[in-house]
Amino acid sequence: MRKLWGLNQRLNQWRAIRAIKEALRVVYPFILLMTVVDVLGQSILASDGFFFQIYHIGSWLPAIAVWRVVVQVMSIVINGLVAVMVAFMIANYLAKTYRSDALAVGIISALSFLTLNVNYQALGRKTTSMSQFMEANLGPQGIFLAIVVGLGVGWGASHLMTWFSRWRLRHPQFGQPSWTGRIVLPLTVILLIMVAVGYGLSLLTPYGINGVVYQALSTLVANPGHQGIVIVMVTTISNFLWWIGFVGPVSLAGNSSVTSLQNLSYAIQHGSGWGAPHLVTLHTLGDAYANFGGAGMTLSLVIAIWIGSRQVSYRRIANQTFLPNLVNLNEPTLLGLPLLFNPILLVPFLVAPAVNITLAWFALTWKLVPPIVYPVPRTTPGPLIAYLGTGGDWRALVLSLVCLSVSVLIYLPFVRLLNHEGGSDHAA
Amino acid sequence: MRHSWWRWLVGILLVLAVFLPSMTWMQNQITQYKTNYKTPLDPTIMVPGSSASQNRFDALIKELRKETKTAHSVLKVKVAENGQLSYTGSIRRGDNQPFIVVAFENNRDGYANIVKQAQWLNLAMKDLIKTYHFNHFSTLGHSNGGLILSLFLERYLSQIKDVNVDRLMTIATPYNMESNSTTTQTAILKELIKYRKQLPKSLTVYSVAGTENYSSDGTVPANSVNQGKYVFQNQVSHYTQITVTGDDTTHSALPQNKQIVLLIRQYLLQETLPVKDRYQNQAQNQVDSRNASDDPGLP
Repeated sequence: MRKLWGLNQRLNQWRAIRAIKEALRVVYPFILLMTVVDVLGQSILASDGFFFQIYHIGSWLPAIAVWRVVVQVMSIVINGLVAVMVAFMIANYLAKTYRSDALAVGIISALSFLTLNVNYQALGRKTTSMSQFMEANLGPQGIFLAIVVGLGVGWGASHLMTWFSRWRLRHPQFGQPSWTGRIVLPLTVILLIMVAVGYGLSLLTPYGINGVVYQALSTLVANPGHQGIVIVMVTTISNFLWWIGFVGPVSLAGNSSVTSLQNLSYAIQHGSGWGAPHLVTLHTLGDAYANFGGAGMTLSLVIAIWIGSRQVSYRRIANQTFLPNLVNLNEPTLLGLPLLFNPILLVPFLVAPAVNITLAWFALTWKLVPPIVYPVPRTTPGPLIAYLGTGGDWRALVLSLVCLSVSVLIYLPFVRLLNHEGGSDHAA
Repeated sequence: MRHSWWRWLVGILLVLAVFLPSMTWMQNQITQYKTNYKTPLDPTIMVPGSSASQNRFDALIKELRKETKTAHSVLKVKVAENGQLSYTGSIRRGDNQPFIVVAFENNRDGYANIVKQAQWLNLAMKDLIKTYHFNHFSTLGHSNGGLILSLFLERYLSQIKDVNVDRLMTIATPYNMESNSTTTQTAILKELIKYRKQLPKSLTVYSVAGTENYSSDGTVPANSVNQGKYVFQNQVSHYTQITVTGDDTTHSALPQNKQIVLLIRQYLLQETLPVKDRYQNQAQNQVDSRNASDDPGLP
């Protein structure tokens, strides 16, 4: 623990880590609003939402189509551009620490990030069916790339600008450098570099740098087989990637895989999931017992903060993000605390799901609980997934509650450790 | 801590407000899955007409096996007058589209016999469902076999729990027996029309007629086949009448008629036909639809 604390302190002194944390803190309110909108949209208004289904919202809420449109538009605007904001904020903060022109560097960084996400397939075509940007990469799943670009451009542009101003001072014959003059050069240089990188990548792959990583991860995660240990490893790797900013589509939730369908048809014919053909899968272990709140059991992190944290900002974020966590949308918790790039919270973030999967594995192989067989909405509150997915088996509910408590206990010491962290960070 | 008790109360109420409706929702979902679930086993029940044995469809099955790549296995059931079932052949393991031919010891023509045969078919179906655990099937009836099937679907199918019929194809089925009249209804037609509301709404029906000349396939009058519309139209989800002319269109040759074999493959077995066969079939149907549009009833 002491070593971990030391590591945390050392990391916090890094300019890059501070920039990331600062940027995420600034972006948090936007993410929170976006997630609340998503909670509304996905769990209450969408026809496959949990609350939509259990309260039969479609049958009594008037003008549901209008509500859906409103929520969708808001979600597109904020959700769709969050990574651009992150790229801007990180470079902006770095430039401030270098005493450079923070606003200009931030804008250059945002533009660079967009340059890397130009859709080269749509370039020069008359068709309107293709978007000019790879839109998916501008949302939460682009956060990692946005962090990398923000750090790189923040550093590069700041130094270019300082170097250029010094050069002008040494050569006064060119006159006093103007605002335009100071911006145009670094902007040109950096955009040229980004176009070169982006175009080069587009020759290698049509999906952009992000797409490659996501595809590789998805194939890794898609079929982890029936080995408990492999499932634990895949989940841990996937959660680690969330921690460094690959948020979003590498989601473990998958109701429709072949094994799940075979389990479902077995259950329909036999009346229950006992003896289903695929007992141990990512779905029956991970989705059912290790995904409360989303990746890393963040629902139990929220509860652990309620119990053990004395940090005002943590408690506030826990209160604000409880509802999203309840329906498994945990992006605001990850970005708000921030959990991303926080070495202390990384440990329980990886350990809690792994322990839960192990618990579930024992319970399933010892036939203490049946596997989940019926599909449940993605927005079902975590502790209810197993209960509803088994068709109402109380043993599954008990196991869910055990998993939740165990995760809270795993998170608690680390949350308490963070109580020692002080300073202006937590005044927010 | 003064307010803690009502906080707990609100918390518990909230949990219940989510928990209880989610339980009823779950029960509904599971029943829905059960009703929508279709077993992979999807047999085609074939019922021959009067005076025909369980071997009546052998030529057709031989033809179908030759044309299609799937080797449909064949199970034959013969129902004795006392309701005793005797099986020949078997459903091969892994074959999800087997043919099951149900024939009757008493295979005589006439209203009373057909009613009895529908009862016997019910006995056979119950036994088949109990043995092979399928919950949906398609049916093919030749001649009076179509009447037996229609009676069975009206009277008995609804009493078998959780089993549905997908498609019914009747070949030269005389819905108005031997009568060529378009106005007088025979007993069997009256009976079928009287209980037509019992037919499953999701059923798709194809009634195929053959004609040697303009009025008959040599045994069954085309008018009698056409009376089927009074049974099915506006009750089942689709009712399609198809008339086949040309070679092999005498009443007894119809089941192995090349065109009808194609219709069975395309509509009843829902195969994706090779392009050449599809074209042949479409050309045929186009002729029919042109004839239909000559109907003087149209403005």
